[in-house]
Amino acid sequence: MSDDIKADKVMDLKGLPCPMPVVKISKGIKEVAVGQVVEAVTSDPGALADFPAWAKTSGNEIMKTEQEGKITRFFIRRVK
Amino acid sequence: MDDTTRDELLRLFESKLKRAAKLYLETCSRCGVCVSACHVYASMPQAKYIAAYRAEIVRRIYKRYFTKKGRFWKSLGESKELSELALSELYEAAYSCTGCRRCMVFCPFGIDTQLIMSIAKLLLIGAHAEPEILSLLADTSVAKGESLEIFREGFLESIKTLENEVVERWRVEAGQTPIPVDQKGADLLYVALAGAHSIVPAAVVFNAAKENWTLSFFEAVNFGAFVGDPVKTRQILDRIVNEARRLGVKEVVICECGTAFRVMKSMAKNEPFKVSSITEVHARYIREGRIKLRKNTLEGTVTYHDPCQLARNGGVMDEPRFILRALTDDFAEMSPDPVMNWCCGGGGGLVAMGEDTLDFRMKSASVKADQVKKTGAKILATACENCHTQLSNLNDHYQMGVDVRFLSSMVADALE
Ligand code: SF4
Ligand code: SF4
Repeated sequence: MSDDIKADKVMDLKGLPCPMPVVKISKGIKEVAVGQVVEAVTSDPGALADFPAWAKTSGNEIMKTEQEGKITRFFIRRVK
Repeated sequence: MDDTTRDELLRLFESKLKRAAKLYLETCSRCGVCVSACHVYASMPQAKYIAAYRAEIVRRIYKRYFTKKGRFWKSLGESKELSELALSELYEAAYSCTGCRRCMVFCPFGIDTQLIMSIAKLLLIGAHAEPEILSLLADTSVAKGESLEIFREGFLESIKTLENEVVERWRVEAGQTPIPVDQKGADLLYVALAGAHSIVPAAVVFNAAKENWTLSFFEAVNFGAFVGDPVKTRQILDRIVNEARRLGVKEVVICECGTAFRVMKSMAKNEPFKVSSITEVHARYIREGRIKLRKNTLEGTVTYHDPCQLARNGGVMDEPRFILRALTDDFAEMSPDPVMNWCCGGGGGLVAMGEDTLDFRMKSASVKADQVKKTGAKILATACENCHTQLSNLNDHYQMGVDVRFLSSMVADALE
């Protein structure tokens, strides 16, 4: 959990088969209100590339990315 | 449906009317041979799941708008108006077809229902009625191709975290990078998926075979093909083609992703590199003595599911069997002829649509579950991520009691 950003929902997307991390985050972000934040925890190297591209495409905002060993946490704000 | 939308959809329809498509649309004799060919119909016998029935919806729209008879006598010649209702029928037909092409093998005229369904999918895109998630996935892949700089560093860092795992399983020479990325002068570009399971075992085998290889920045899967969008299919493919050209590799190797392999194999024919599946490459290494495998370390009978896009539609059938025979003396075929193997029921974008399609995927693939059970196998090997997910779901749903394994990781685990 990041010190300065409070997530309204945490999603564990570690080790899922392709393309489930993106499929699940696309659903999960719609389950919070606009302006709220989802923390997505991933362990797939490809997620590092997929999430920024997904955010750009879906119009959401990645506020912060924390990389710690194999684990990456994305803090994503629902924009629309 | 307003006239402008209809005109736009008919323009899209026309763009698909190449020679083969016209032939398929004009040829069906309704002989019924394809009835039992489709796993969906075999599992859920309803007329709407017969291959020729699905195609008939597209065929009737074709007759109505693209043949003289249909244009002049609208009510004659079994023609169909392109309407909202027709669109919902097209959706049901196209997204209950996995594009496995088993029906094509049975049809005396070789009619490709998958190709006819690709017309349906294009019309759905034109009407903004395609599954939203598939377009989003395709757009995400396209966006990745346009913004390598955004993820480059993060990706490289994340690949670094996997290197220990690779070295633990196969020690590399001092100074050698366990997972090389972006290496000019490499012979082979390996295109993986997002997950570590698609990268680590492959890297271990490449290193064991002393391959001069490099990993792609991009994922192999082509969601443009799943959603049936020819423009996005090309854009997604071109990310990898351009990377391969830039690095000057001689061979592009696609990971265990059937659709990615079929699309790359069929669309990159005139490129200065050869296209192979990882399965073909592993078979080659064994044949050439570049890797050696420990035999008979697996417990119980092993069977193999042919991913439709790799086997029936990609021609890779002998290689997985060659690999499996190097791994075990206890291999059981699930179909007397691999060409006739049942589809797992997860293709055509259905697995990528996640839980929304789970119930249908399970019901429509009961014949696959029965086929696996009959082999008595304990290990169910396959060489496609999509099939692996669907087979794992089937394993849980039908309590098949098998261990679903990726063939590539079986090879990596058995290295001598
Ligand atoms: S391509 Fe496969 S799923 Fe589609 S109609 Fe033919 S047999 Fe059925
Ligand atoms: S087997 Fe071929 S010709 Fe016969 S009904 Fe099916 S699609 Fe038509």
